[in-house]
Amino acid sequence: MNVVFAVKQYISKMIEDSGPGMKVLLMDKETTGIVSMVYTQSEILQKEVYLFERIDSQNREIMKHLKAICFLRPTKENVDYLIQELRRPKYSIYFIYFSNVISKSDVKSLAEADEQEVVAEVQEFYGDYIAVNPHLFSLNILGCCQGRNWDPVQLSRTTQGLTALLLSLKKCPMIRYQLSSEAAKRLAECVKQVITKEYELFEFRRTEVPPLLLILDRCDDAITPLLNQWTYQAMVHELLGINNNRIDLSRVPGISKDLREVVLSAENDEFYANNMHLNFAEIGSNIKNLMEDFQKKKPKEQQKLESIADMKAFVENYPQFKKMSGTVSKHVTVVGELSRLVSERNLLEVSEVEQELACQNDHSSALQNVKRLLQNPRVTEFDAARLVMLYALHYERHSSNSLPGLMMDLRNKGVSEKYRKLVSAVIEYGGKRVRGSDLFSPKDAVAITKQFLKGLKTSGYHCVYHWRSHL
Amino acid sequence: MWEPQELGAMRSHLSDFKKHRAARIDHYVVEVNKLIIRLEKLTAFDRTNTESAKIRAIEKSVVPWVNDQDVPFCPDCGNKFSIRNRRHHCRLCGSIMCKKCMELISLPLANKLTSASKDSLSTHTSPSQSPNSVHGSRRGSISSVSSVSSVLDEKDDDRIRCCTHCKDTLLKREQQIDEKEHTPDIVKLYEKLRLCMEKVDQKAPEYIKMAASLNAGETTYSLEHASDLRVEVQKVYELIDALSKKILTLDLKQDPPPHPNTLRLQRMIRYSATLFVQEKLLGLMSLPTKEQFEELKKKRKQEIERKRILERQAALESQRRLEERRSDLASRATNGEVVPPRRGPAPLRKAEGWLPLSEGQRQSEDPDPLLQQIHNITSFIRQAKAADRTDEVLMLQENLRQLQDEYDQQQTEKAIELSRRQAEEEDLQREQLQVLREREWEREQGQAASLHTRTRSLDFREIRPFQLEPGREPRTHLAHALDLGSSPAQSSTATKTSPPSLAPEPFRGWSGSPALGQEFLPQSTPSQRSEAPSLNPFDEEEDLASPSAEGTASPPAPEPSLGPPARLLREYNPFEEEEEEEAVAGNPFARPDSPAPNPFDEEDEPPPRTPASLPVPGNPFEEAPCTNPFEEDSDGGQEGAEPIEEELLLQQIDNIKAYIFDAKQCGRLDEVEVLTENLRELKRTLAKQKGGSD
Repeated sequence: MNVVFAVKQYISKMIEDSGPGMKVLLMDKETTGIVSMVYTQSEILQKEVYLFERIDSQNREIMKHLKAICFLRPTKENVDYLIQELRRPKYSIYFIYFSNVISKSDVKSLAEADEQEVVAEVQEFYGDYIAVNPHLFSLNILGCCQGRNWDPVQLSRTTQGLTALLLSLKKCPMIRYQLSSEAAKRLAECVKQVITKEYELFEFRRTEVPPLLLILDRCDDAITPLLNQWTYQAMVHELLGINNNRIDLSRVPGISKDLREVVLSAENDEFYANNMHLNFAEIGSNIKNLMEDFQKKKPKEQQKLESIADMKAFVENYPQFKKMSGTVSKHVTVVGELSRLVSERNLLEVSEVEQELACQNDHSSALQNVKRLLQNPRVTEFDAARLVMLYALHYERHSSNSLPGLMMDLRNKGVSEKYRKLVSAVIEYGGKRVRGSDLFSPKDAVAITKQFLKGLKTSGYHCVYHWRSHL
Repeated sequence: MWEPQELGAMRSHLSDFKKHRAARIDHYVVEVNKLIIRLEKLTAFDRTNTESAKIRAIEKSVVPWVNDQDVPFCPDCGNKFSIRNRRHHCRLCGSIMCKKCMELISLPLANKLTSASKDSLSTHTSPSQSPNSVHGSRRGSISSVSSVSSVLDEKDDDRIRCCTHCKDTLLKREQQIDEKEHTPDIVKLYEKLRLCMEKVDQKAPEYIKMAASLNAGETTYSLEHASDLRVEVQKVYELIDALSKKILTLDLKQDPPPHPNTLRLQRMIRYSATLFVQEKLLGLMSLPTKEQFEELKKKRKQEIERKRILERQAALESQRRLEERRSDLASRATNGEVVPPRRGPAPLRKAEGWLPLSEGQRQSEDPDPLLQQIHNITSFIRQAKAADRTDEVLMLQENLRQLQDEYDQQQTEKAIELSRRQAEEEDLQREQLQVLREREWEREQGQAASLHTRTRSLDFREIRPFQLEPGREPRTHLAHALDLGSSPAQSSTATKTSPPSLAPEPFRGWSGSPALGQEFLPQSTPSQRSEAPSLNPFDEEEDLASPSAEGTASPPAPEPSLGPPARLLREYNPFEEEEEEEAVAGNPFARPDSPAPNPFDEEDEPPPRTPASLPVPGNPFEEAPCTNPFEEDSDGGQEGAEPIEEELLLQQIDNIKAYIFDAKQCGRLDEVEVLTENLRELKRTLAKQKGGSD
């Protein structure tokens, strides 16, 4: 159950089915992201796909010598664009793939627009989600809920994403959801509905133990996302931000032009693949090794290319060297920036207090530490607000709860209203009233771990997809 | 990490789509086809040379004209028809319009449309030409509106009147035809480019295979052929480069400049071509030069030989093991009772019997990898010789010599130290001398083979002494216990009688502990001297009896217990034989023996070697590789002529027969062959023995 592979297979199949010849890939905004996560440009170029166009781009030239592969989400706008496109075809032949279920009426209106018989294929390929890692996908939704209720648009998008996931993995699951969460229940119902409606699609070979779709609501554990992370990928995500494997480094002081935006993809970057889940400290030493390795491979300047053999060796090694130099400079920059941010934002100390807030029950010491850090000018307002949020969640019902005092401290520190509001919001979202279990009791944690391990043992192949709903 | 994953679910809407589209398209296609059929009829005759009245008649027959009276106004523009604004009929659908709204189809266009529908390869009117001609004619007709002589115009011989609707339909059709026919330059170039890439995809792996094989020194492909192919592939790469460059610069200087997307397309094609070349071209390994190739070839040959021999060795080994197991069983079953009395010094002799001990174990115990290697190679040589591959043998010999040199160095160092201690035991030396004298006498008997020994290379002599030395240890006991001549025979009987597990033990113990070995040293020296000569005559005889036996018959029943010296001799034999091949086809067995003892007294061997030869306790047992037990047996038989020997031989023969039967049943033909050879050998020995004893 590799989601990256699942999507990649779909794309490969599309390209293969269109046969030889120059091709253009027609996409919409979302499918562009979906494709870019699983295919690099040079990879797809080798499959004779030379142009990538947006279906909504008006500035497309008539190129009858190209075949068009359309990979689109089945939205109303896309169908309309496609109808226009088919009335005046710009390409010789069209292979149309929708990333999800499309209605019969849409198919009919498309068919009627195709007077010139340029359409050679109309299919549904369920690659309707952004495959981040083999075991992780995202729908790139920012804010799926209003209060504690679903935003209807996002609910339908999420349902589509989940059903597409199930179809792409060929699984007809048993659905379990978090009882304490209304949102989880709604989503589970919607997915169930789709499965019932499209029962023909979900007729897969039955397994003895049906696959399990587990829908969890983050509200049961609002703590974890508030903690600073110390593994590579998580740190990059937390401190720099990853968007479709792209990292914006333009704010890094003194960044060179070609490193303004870098791509970190485990698919094509071995170092990243090997280190993304490693600790920051380990990354440091691995980076050092990488550098040393690179220094060794680096052609020495003194070493003149005298013989033809020298030159040959150089030429043969050069692309590899170049690739490596790209990797090295990229990771060195990223890790350098991370460590700069860590020291600038005093994250080691902040993280220590965060851990104390999350794992220990010593109220007075925790309060003291939070107060001390709030006085520290190097702690950013974001981190300060997070500390207070953690405190608020943990000691929500503590007898000597001094949240108001901390809120005052935040105000005095000059933390903006936007962040201060989050404290009450987080209590509303993930406070004790909402949580099903006691998050902070260490006994519980052990029990949960045990249970989890047991679960892993008995159902090794159930892949639990963490689906992240953002606050 | 990830289980194999099939392509995700999918659903096709194509049939649905086609159904809906077909409904829409059918109507359109029928319409077009109708028009084209009529157009064809209208142009089927020679219009220029036909009277206008006749033309009109034909035109009317193609499609019924709408009655003039029914249409008072032009349906397109709404103008009233009058004498000035006359009615015109569309020749394609028969409808009426005014002159302004009338369209004309030139004959070339008509031809193009009709012929295109007849076959797709139709006339190749350039796309720019035909539209122009249509437009031109239309303009002409417009200008003629004002002319009074418009009636004349109506007789235009080379044009066909039609309404705008028909014309539109036909023009659309024309456009389609053009698109079908017209291939832009980029497509032509691109197609060529792809052809080249395909060629590379096809040829490059072929070349890489060749180059890899050539670089490995194989001779499957010829160097010339490979370099030709390389040149060919490189040419294709150049072509790809050139083509993609051409695509990149296509229409670049045109005015107006091409659409940015076109340029992007061209850039991308170029980029992907560059990627392609980079990736594939760099994968093209270079070929060796002629000289290099020769060298490689040699190396390769050696390697292959070695491998092949190793394989064979392994096969034989396994076979031997199999046999061991069986003989174990057999010996246990038959001779179990004999075991008890043979304790004490007996173990040694037990070990000497025909009992195949697990050779593999022995080898693995070998403390010195060099020795292992050496003994492997010697057996390879033997096999190679048997297969009549003299070149291989030469190579292997070279190999062996190197290994032995290496080993010699190691051993001499050890030996020097030991020799110091040895010096202290001079009294023993005296004894030795005596034995040597004895031995000389035997050697005379042993015959001229010793002459050859002198021709042997030094290394053998060097090695043999130490290896033999410790091996003799057991013999010492034998020598004391029994008379020399009979010892091998007895020992062979002993082995058979004793359970196999017992037999190897004493040897191992010795080989393992150098200290022990040293204790025996004094004894061993004299025995060594005496033994070698004693062996000689038999070896010779055996040789006479079965000159070719060594190679084929060798391994199945390895004789661990067999006097280690004997084993050593075997090992070395091939080697020496090899050398002698040039000189005299002498007795391989005799030679090894004689040289070994010689160094000490007769052969003016350099003194340091003598001491060196004495120590090295551990080796001898491990050394014993794939010796031919039968040869051994024959030795014993010859010497001892003991009654047990015969019995054992018979038993052995029976055993082997059983194995042969078994092997045959299992279809292991090669095994059968080897076993048969063994059997023959045994029988011969038996006959000999009988002759001797009688």
